[in-house]
Amino acid sequence: MILEILSIGLIVSACLALFLDEVVYSVAALSGTFLFTALLYYVNGAIYAAIFQFVVGVGTLAILFLSGEMLSDKSRKKTSPKKLSALIGVGLVLSLPAIFLSISSSKGVYSNASFGGALWHLSGVDVILQALVILTVALGIAIILYEQKKGGK
Amino acid sequence: MDFVILSLVMMGIGIYGLLTNRQLLKVFISIELIAIAATLNFVMLVSSAGQGLGQAFLILAFSTDTAVSGVVLALLVIVTKKYGTSNINDILTMHEKRESEAEEYGDA
Repeated sequence: MILEILSIGLIVSACLALFLDEVVYSVAALSGTFLFTALLYYVNGAIYAAIFQFVVGVGTLAILFLSGEMLSDKSRKKTSPKKLSALIGVGLVLSLPAIFLSISSSKGVYSNASFGGALWHLSGVDVILQALVILTVALGIAIILYEQKKGGK
Repeated sequence: MDFVILSLVMMGIGIYGLLTNRQLLKVFISIELIAIAATLNFVMLVSSAGQGLGQAFLILAFSTDTAVSGVVLALLVIVTKKYGTSNINDILTMHEKRESEAEEYGDA
């Protein structure tokens, strides 16, 4: 149950960090993302990773707060409550697939496997992720070329 | 509960933000979210496999990520101070205008 709550908090805070209008509030939401990630690591037994995530997150956030204050426009409009609730709703909906869907064939396959064996078992997922990365890069190049063509006219 | 799907959703949110946001700091936050998604996937794989070596690799990844964040933030501050805005479209327009002005003066 606690993993589901943490994953919902992670996705909602990520959505808020990206789409809130005020930069300082975005950075505050990003601090929630770092905190939920560290808690997820801790709950799953990766204690060193949790500590490092927390320390690195605190350092990054301190710099981000300073530069956010420096770089943001003071005259920006504020986020309306309707947009805020819509963002939280979108985050809740986006966290549903992670809670209810599963792409693992059986649980506990990797518990006694070596690191190389675990990677070999995940090779199918790896191919899909690589395809996703290549697709994203191709989409980015297409958008850049389109923008250049549009700017040239 | 599947952490591969969770990290995929996180990466999707980050890529969407990277493609749609025009503010430099939001672009940086998108890159941070993509990095979080990658490390989340890695940590969950490592904790499933029970390998301590993975956490050591992860600490290396965190260090690299932090160094990259520092350099990117320094670049953001320099660009914003130079052009007076943090909007990517405005920066591109100003840059093109300056280049065309430099070409005109070069021809003359």
